[in-house]
Amino acid sequence: MRDGQIILEDVGVGYRIYREKVSTLKEAVANRFRHLRTAEKFWALRHVSLQIAPGEAIALVGHNGSGKSTLLKTVAGVLEPSEGAAVTLGRISPMIELGAGFDPELSGRDNVYLNGALLGFSRKQMSAKFQRIVDFSELGDFIDLPVKNYSSGMYARLGFAIAQDVEPDILIVDEVLAVGDERFQEKCKRRIQDFRSAGVTFVFVSHSLPTALELCPRAAVLHHGRLAFDGPTDAAWERYRELERGPAPGPVFQA
Amino acid sequence: MGSKAPALPQVARRPARIVELWRFRQLIGMLVVRELKVRYKRSVLGLLWTMLNPLLLMVVYAVVFTTIMPAAQPNFAVFLLAGLLPWLYFATSLMQGLMSVLVNQELVRKIRLPQAVFPLSVVGSNLVNFTLSFLPLFIMMAALRQPFTPALLFLPAAAVILTLFCAGVTLLFATATVFFRDVRHLTEVLLQMLLYLSPVLYDFRQLGEHRTWWFHLFRLELRINPLSYLIPLVRDPVYYGRLPSLPTLAVALLWAAGALLLGFAVFTRLEPRHIHHL
Repeated sequence: MRDGQIILEDVGVGYRIYREKVSTLKEAVANRFRHLRTAEKFWALRHVSLQIAPGEAIALVGHNGSGKSTLLKTVAGVLEPSEGAAVTLGRISPMIELGAGFDPELSGRDNVYLNGALLGFSRKQMSAKFQRIVDFSELGDFIDLPVKNYSSGMYARLGFAIAQDVEPDILIVDEVLAVGDERFQEKCKRRIQDFRSAGVTFVFVSHSLPTALELCPRAAVLHHGRLAFDGPTDAAWERYRELERGPAPGPVFQA
Repeated sequence: MGSKAPALPQVARRPARIVELWRFRQLIGMLVVRELKVRYKRSVLGLLWTMLNPLLLMVVYAVVFTTIMPAAQPNFAVFLLAGLLPWLYFATSLMQGLMSVLVNQELVRKIRLPQAVFPLSVVGSNLVNFTLSFLPLFIMMAALRQPFTPALLFLPAAAVILTLFCAGVTLLFATATVFFRDVRHLTEVLLQMLLYLSPVLYDFRQLGEHRTWWFHLFRLELRINPLSYLIPLVRDPVYYGRLPSLPTLAVALLWAAGALLLGFAVFTRLEPRHIHHL
């Protein structure tokens, strides 16, 4: 097994849903904590097996609430599966949300170092990257302004600039390409292509077929927490459309 | 990649929690700096508040105990401050630290990192405050002609022991707060009671003897209370000008090590479940 490999085996992530609303301790005691016993498990993800080889690019497709984010979080190691096993090897650049961990009160400069530390980089390592990050973000002198004064585009640019410079083995991108102007989006896409040719594993959540086709030959369709399709991107898209048109059942509860 | 994956070496691949935490030690430092920077950013006096805070409290207690109900010892202001500083370090670390995982939940949801960095950085920023607040204490000592003795050299060791204890308790309460939000309010009340149940405003020796059952209970509580051993680590060198006794030091060390081991073990054990309760 090499860095960049992702293996999910029969992964399930379940949440407890308490059907009876109990808001005070008094009610809980009065009901003798019955609400805990009648809790149902909601499976945000179940029986999902996926193998992603180092250097492979895969798009995740599915309706809202289909389990895409849960899957990404499991791959990123933020969530531990309640069933099955998930193994991810190598450094993950979690572009799940750009700028996650920015402190609005701190300057862009401080946030670069803070964000680096959140991903496990030392101050020294970040100093070496700093200029490149600023250049990529095209923020110029704004880098010394508090992040709360940034426009959302600037925010996303800085976030992407950091994420693209952390030498990841696995790149996880969650629809971030929708932010920033078209020119910057193109720049991000080019950077992702660079990563692809450098053999970085790429997991991409997308609602846009052209972008998915452009970046990923393979796609997985999630439907109500199950893996509905895994294969070529255009075929996956057809399956996705098909499922979209079908009746939309409510979330599946299982006791 | 249709073939079945080899046996998943998940456990072997995950570095031990303590190793992971060590890898993120610089993050703790940065979070400490961030906390200090952000906290005092918009205030005129800035870091000076760190020193003013215990001083103002000391003034209140000193007025109460010297004029309204005189029970005071000589140089009561120094006596009070020497007890208040470690107490405030403990109480503030705990109150801020128990919320730290919740406060940083956006990060916990998005980035895999040892969550212990959050409570630990709160303790760290309070350690900075604690250290800085010795400046007004020393000024007070000089003004009141309290002698400076070589026993003061023990204070760094006292700070280390206190920090271990604060870290352990804060870790424990931080994880508990994730599961039961009530812990925060409960702790608030408990701390108010603990202030009077610990030798902060008074001293073990001042108690004298009473032949009532509740007094025996109180003495028993004082014997168990870890703060009875931790506060003298600061007060003995500062006020009495001598090193803490060996038994006091030994018990303080035991409490500190025990709290840290328990706090860290419980926190890392429950850490993976936090995300479901945020």
